[in-house]
Amino acid sequence: MTTTAIQTPPTAFTTLALDNWKLAIAGGLGVSISACLAMPATSSFWVVAVMMALVAVTFVVNAFRRHYYGGLLVSPAIAVLFVMNIFPLLWSLGLSFFSYQSNQQAIRFVGLANYSKLLTDDLKAPELWANLTNTAMFTVLTVSVQMVIGFLLAVLFAKQFPLRRYLLILVLTPMMLSVVAVGVFFSYYYDPTFGVISQIIKAWTGEQFILFSSKAGAVAGIVFADAWMWSPFVMLLVLAGLVSVPTYLYEAAAIDRVGSWRRFWTITFPYIRGLLMLALLFRTIEAFKMADLIILLTKGGNDTMTISYHVIRIANEQNKTSEGAALSYLLLFVVIVLTNLYLYIANRRSQGN
Amino acid sequence: MATSMTIWEKLGFRKASRVGEAGWGHTLWAALVSFIYFLPVLIIVITSFKVQNEALSVPAKFFPTSFFGLIPEQYVFTPTLENFTSVFSRAFTTGGAVENTGFDRYFFNSMFIAGTSVLLALVIGTLAAYGFSRYPLKGNDTYLFIILTTRMLPAIVVIIPIILMFRIVGLSGSYPGIIFLYTAFNLPFTIWMMKSFFDELSLDVEDAARIDGSSELRVFFKVCLPQVVAGLAATFVFGLILTWNEFLFALLLTGSDTRTVPVAMNQAVAGGGIGVLWGLLAAIETLFLIPVFLVTFFLQNHLLRGVTFGTVKR
Amino acid sequence: MKYKTRLKSFATALSFVSLMTVGGAIKASAEDVVLHMAVPDWPPTRIMKDMFDREYKPASGNKVTLDVDFIPWPDFYTRVNASLTSGEKKYNMAVSDSQWLGAFIEGGYFRKINDLIDADPDLKKAMDGMHPKILNAYSTYPNSTANYYGFPQFPDILVSYARKDIFCNDEEQKNFKAKYNKKLPCTGEEFDDVDWELFGNIGEFFMRKKGDMLAGKPADDDFYGVGFQVGKGYDFSTSSVNSFIWQAGGDIWDETKAPDGHAEGQVNSDVAVKALDHMLSFIKYMPPVAKTGTMDIFKTDELFRAGKIALNVDWVGLGEASLDPKTSQVADKLVFGMAPGTRGADGKLNRTSQIGGQPFVLTTWNTDIINKEAVGFVKWWLSKDVQTEYASKGGQSAIKDVYSDPKYSTYRPWNRTWASSLDYQKDMWHVPQFYDLLTQQQDQYDLAITGKQDAKTTLDNVAKYQENLLKEAGLIK
Repeated sequence: MTTTAIQTPPTAFTTLALDNWKLAIAGGLGVSISACLAMPATSSFWVVAVMMALVAVTFVVNAFRRHYYGGLLVSPAIAVLFVMNIFPLLWSLGLSFFSYQSNQQAIRFVGLANYSKLLTDDLKAPELWANLTNTAMFTVLTVSVQMVIGFLLAVLFAKQFPLRRYLLILVLTPMMLSVVAVGVFFSYYYDPTFGVISQIIKAWTGEQFILFSSKAGAVAGIVFADAWMWSPFVMLLVLAGLVSVPTYLYEAAAIDRVGSWRRFWTITFPYIRGLLMLALLFRTIEAFKMADLIILLTKGGNDTMTISYHVIRIANEQNKTSEGAALSYLLLFVVIVLTNLYLYIANRRSQGN
Repeated sequence: MATSMTIWEKLGFRKASRVGEAGWGHTLWAALVSFIYFLPVLIIVITSFKVQNEALSVPAKFFPTSFFGLIPEQYVFTPTLENFTSVFSRAFTTGGAVENTGFDRYFFNSMFIAGTSVLLALVIGTLAAYGFSRYPLKGNDTYLFIILTTRMLPAIVVIIPIILMFRIVGLSGSYPGIIFLYTAFNLPFTIWMMKSFFDELSLDVEDAARIDGSSELRVFFKVCLPQVVAGLAATFVFGLILTWNEFLFALLLTGSDTRTVPVAMNQAVAGGGIGVLWGLLAAIETLFLIPVFLVTFFLQNHLLRGVTFGTVKR
Repeated sequence: MKYKTRLKSFATALSFVSLMTVGGAIKASAEDVVLHMAVPDWPPTRIMKDMFDREYKPASGNKVTLDVDFIPWPDFYTRVNASLTSGEKKYNMAVSDSQWLGAFIEGGYFRKINDLIDADPDLKKAMDGMHPKILNAYSTYPNSTANYYGFPQFPDILVSYARKDIFCNDEEQKNFKAKYNKKLPCTGEEFDDVDWELFGNIGEFFMRKKGDMLAGKPADDDFYGVGFQVGKGYDFSTSSVNSFIWQAGGDIWDETKAPDGHAEGQVNSDVAVKALDHMLSFIKYMPPVAKTGTMDIFKTDELFRAGKIALNVDWVGLGEASLDPKTSQVADKLVFGMAPGTRGADGKLNRTSQIGGQPFVLTTWNTDIINKEAVGFVKWWLSKDVQTEYASKGGQSAIKDVYSDPKYSTYRPWNRTWASSLDYQKDMWHVPQFYDLLTQQQDQYDLAITGKQDAKTTLDNVAKYQENLLKEAGLIK
């Protein structure tokens, strides 16, 4: 940062040079598009790949010649993310404007028809809204439960005490389990005949207990399993914040006889706020994608269908690739809006304080 | 205010000013909570020692011994190690020959693939995080946000393009393919975490080193990196936990030679012309838990320190 | 720097290990023929692979290897579907549920085998030797036409699993007679003659609470009368509902009548509504899990093996586990009969039933030599000796010569019902829209099964959806 890079003037757009990335993009785009139109899929893929590599090289050479260390350091990560994430994302975004089923050869451009069908069709629109509502409900419930449980657990482990190391690892274990095992074993815990929960309730009340006989029960069961698995994640982040509070602050507070609530809000909370926000952000993103636990526990029965599960059905089982892609971009839109809203609020809060 | 303190005292806030001094009373309380929290895992572990018929007994059998008659006989099962040997070799048909199940291979695959890709993501991600932190680009936050966006879509959406891509390049079913993919899968989290670590470092030391004539490379390796070792450990553990149990990509992009345990685990969910093989599934999960459990346990202190160090002291 | 050394040693170990694998991955000579096959991981396919490795000698003299990818059942469709539709061209042969045929044939992945059959008299003989109902279900697309695609891997039917110790108990026999004035079935032949009415009586009769007397002893846990699949996953309620509708004289949307047949009016006909109601009436005699919509073929089997159900209707393919004392608490107390049917005016039972099991198919990208060796393998597989050995090890055969041999019924206790049950087997749709039709229907049936919707509304919704979808697809005019 303190080093001053020697500025080499930018290459003119028309010059044929290895650091002329603008020309490379323009040329690459042109060649790629004509290749896609003229050549079969496999060979055009290679052409596009070569063009992308060319653009990448010009970027790197450009950064190197002009000492943009930032660009050089970032480029491997960007390259990997571009190839493995962003490129497939753009591909599927493109597919969402076509009528394409992966098990059929025909492909046809339909513009926004997939989107408008999802939003206005008599059968599909109500389904979409129902699934969105369920997804929102699951997200709010499971994330808030995780935040509360994670927070309380963190408070419990915030101090040094004998055997803390060994007890902490027990609490961290659930998030290391495979979701298949968690789903299958929770379906056993919830089973009305074999399940431990039903057995205990039956021994207590004498009544047959069926957790999944109502929507409330099914939602509770799914949220419980998910929150159990991921509260340790929240706990770990919060715990990190709690143990980082310098002890002299507490000592000063003790001398000033500050009440415990006030002590929490003025001393402890500022240290964990950032981490709580980070935990909230990551858990919300994951909760929006919730599907596998539902597949394993209820198969979407009792009105527990979520968007993500619906996408799996459409895109995988029914092979409606385009429709599935369109649906997930609607989902992505919702998540991006929410995340931005959240980042905006978080930033304003931290500036306000 | 004295009355309102009690709840917080119970939650352990009372002695927060003197860290390290909570006693065995607190341990007892924490042990109780941890035990309840761990119970579902414990049942899985216990089930791994049961034969199929006892796994689903009503009432459920929880105890491997009767503790000299203390526990009524109906709650006691006969522990067996059969499930653990069955993970690696068993007869697939009634009366058939005992065969290798391939799980030795699957365990190796899981460790190799997860280990390599998390390390790779750590290397690439740390470089990028350092770049984002020290040499902010125009629109730095936008780039960081886009990187996060790649984790927001259900994986099933990108899977078809990725399969197509892998097929053309010839990567499907190979180690490099899935490792490369998992590296990308881990990058967003790695970059976000490592960037916050670098953001916290004091620039004075680095500048001093530069004035002494150290090259940028030397500053990075000799000055910055040693300061974030704890952060590296924390990021490694988080990445490992997420990659270890990844299912969908592994299912679709690994072949029979490169298959990982989460995929193969379904052998025990509806495998041998029977529903769930409870003991076997529990044994696979128990064995599969051990490596990541140990890594987390031994890196635990860095984990706490690392996360703290990175994201709090703004 | 402790971490550094640790990281270093870890990295060294990793690079060492990766070198080892690269070394091990180099494959041997390319002149041999390798048949890549995708199969679900379960005994019938394991037996096939095992027999191939030990016994198969190709007539061509080539060295033929069967490279089988055993994929766990729950992910089988996802894996195979992704492999086929992505154009990976990885498999030369694949096991496929019969319902998937249309989707994958229209996609151009499954190879039509008429030319291979015509060119090879031995293969033709083998195909002709198959039970026609099985041939239709496993091999034809459009359904029941002379376009052939598949060979049976494991044919499967529904049978009744019953508890001998309970049904043959004198006390229970006497009480049942007193209550319903009917004989409580005890032998296999008597179970063959169970109609749904008697099935309902049995269900009602054997509902016992913990501590009630059951076959002369107090029951150690709640006990339930009957069970069959009524789950929301895959086709686990459709299979049951289809049988009920067919037996009542109704029909599902019939693709053989396309494009003139309709879904509306047929799918939700009064007969069908009554049939669905009839099926729903048995749920109260099932274990409570049935009311949650998760009673699939595995759950009902598990409950039966744990000794919680008196009479269970399930696939033969899950039978081995109930005979094995390691996995079954009722292993020595079993009797098997044909699946129940509906008694007609003539007193005869209509047993029309959803067929189970899977064919396997060839893929379109196979080279001539692969095709030649694959046909050689199929001929070997369908030959009498091989099928007989397969059946003796727990497989099932659709080849007439094999199952009509009196020895066949001795291999497994349910084999007695095999030959006579085959005549009644029928399959659901083979059209490419199969999964679309199925999921919507399963969702609707689930609402009926969990008591949230009546039979009429359910079938109206199904019919409306199917009519729309199939019209769009051009299968209904």
